[in-house]
Amino acid sequence: MSGKGSGSIADQATGKSSANLSILGVALGILTAIGGFVDIGDLVTNAVVGSRFGLSLVWVTVLGVVGICIFAQMSGRVAAVSGRATFEIIRERLGPRASLLNLLASFFINLMTLTAEVGGVALALQLASSVHYLAWVPVAGLAVWLVVWRVKFKILENVTGLLGLALIVFAVALFLLKPDWNQLFNQATQPAVPEGEAPATYWYYAVALFGAAMTPYEVFFFSSGAVEEKWTVKDLSQSRLNVLVGFPLGGFLSIAIAACAAVVLLPAGIGVTSLSQVVLPVVEAGGKLALAFVIVGVLAATFGAALETTLSSGYTLSQFFGWSWGKFRRPVRAARFHLVMILCLLVGMGVLATGVDPIKVTEYSVVFSAVALPLTYIPILIVANDPEYMGEHVNGRVLNFAALLFMVIILVAAIAAIPLMLLTGAGA
Amino acid sequence: MTPAGKMFDAVMHLLDRQVLDVDKMPVTVADDIELSDIPAGRIPAGAPAPVITNLLAGSVLGTRMFGGRPPSSRLNRIHWKYVADLGTALRLNIRGENLDVLWTERWVQQRIIGRIPGGRHDPE
Repeated sequence: MSGKGSGSIADQATGKSSANLSILGVALGILTAIGGFVDIGDLVTNAVVGSRFGLSLVWVTVLGVVGICIFAQMSGRVAAVSGRATFEIIRERLGPRASLLNLLASFFINLMTLTAEVGGVALALQLASSVHYLAWVPVAGLAVWLVVWRVKFKILENVTGLLGLALIVFAVALFLLKPDWNQLFNQATQPAVPEGEAPATYWYYAVALFGAAMTPYEVFFFSSGAVEEKWTVKDLSQSRLNVLVGFPLGGFLSIAIAACAAVVLLPAGIGVTSLSQVVLPVVEAGGKLALAFVIVGVLAATFGAALETTLSSGYTLSQFFGWSWGKFRRPVRAARFHLVMILCLLVGMGVLATGVDPIKVTEYSVVFSAVALPLTYIPILIVANDPEYMGEHVNGRVLNFAALLFMVIILVAAIAAIPLMLLTGAGA
Repeated sequence: MTPAGKMFDAVMHLLDRQVLDVDKMPVTVADDIELSDIPAGRIPAGAPAPVITNLLAGSVLGTRMFGGRPPSSRLNRIHWKYVADLGTALRLNIRGENLDVLWTERWVQQRIIGRIPGGRHDPE
């Protein structure tokens, strides 16, 4: 994510200008942000929504992308300036009781997301091999652990982000499907509840989509990643650029997934209950080659998110208790951090081994994410305004106005999530 | 350090802050603080004001939240003389490795993480 383009001894020796390097760094950062934006929650929720509501919920994705841009960037800035990651701040600001409740909620939801992502990796491998996904769960879990155990932070982030770009095949497929662009445009710009769907269901999926776009683990991961990569104030403009360009393009991929479902699945009356229906439109448009691309993309996206959620489980718990954490240290120098991640992966694999449907876990995880949003975002906003932490880098007025506006939306979504879930029977 | 005369709120600026050792290694969070003895009942005229003697960590967090008081022998203490700086984190002037508060870290390190192949090497 950060490209430390300042001239090193090696650059000076080869006479390369650091400007070139930082352009490369910027490109890499942006591409990683695009590929890293989509996870199993985005894949499933967008396909479900597209197959039932067409593009009439695109406005939620747009809203969610703007929100995650604002708060991811803010948490990264707080971490870079103060050296304190998000959950350290939550503990310090909310005190032990409220932050313990917050920890329990965030940790549980993150564990649910982790389970969904490992399940997603296994489902993608099933799609590639026709071997049942349950046989892939131990392989997926072990692979995630090995990478977390042995691979450098920057490599794990860049490789999964870049391979995740294969999901662009959803956008290509949309063009190959030759949809009625006017109709799609009208659905997106004049949102209405489609016939046969209850308004409550529409709003339930609006909340789910919002939760999928703004999942709290992204902020835990982003701010802790800033500490992992030892960002300083100098890296801020780079990180802002990565977020402000990369995330919207990632959101564009989300919309392409929904649009593909709207074009193929909605008219045919096909509901999304498994990963094969998510990728069906791509296969219809581009055949085997497209299928190969989409499998690589889904695998990279879910594997990347499995890594991020595994790390986030370690980050949140370690930061709450003040333990040593981070991939920049040897595992023995952050022992409890690594133990937590091992245990969480085992729990996730255990849950999947019961045969629970990973797609269902995903659908619930995004809704619960929406419930937990205020717990994460309010402390960040408070500290981003605290000169003790931020010095001259406190939020500007425009940013605060936008963030407060979002806080209202976040609160409404969080409060509405559970009642809507009960009212609609989880969108049934 | 807080400039002289500026309000210092122990709850705001001390409790629940990250404690780092002299090498910036995280040690714990300041779960509670221990004050020098306060006599029970009436305080005699002219008695010295209590001072902070130790940072506390570990199980004391539970009693701070839910009430009660762990036996004094069970408290994990970091003596105040080791506290070097009060900022957005509390900095110690010693290495944290051998402090009592880190016994669980040492236990997990020696019994579990250190025994898994690769645990003692830098990531690649």
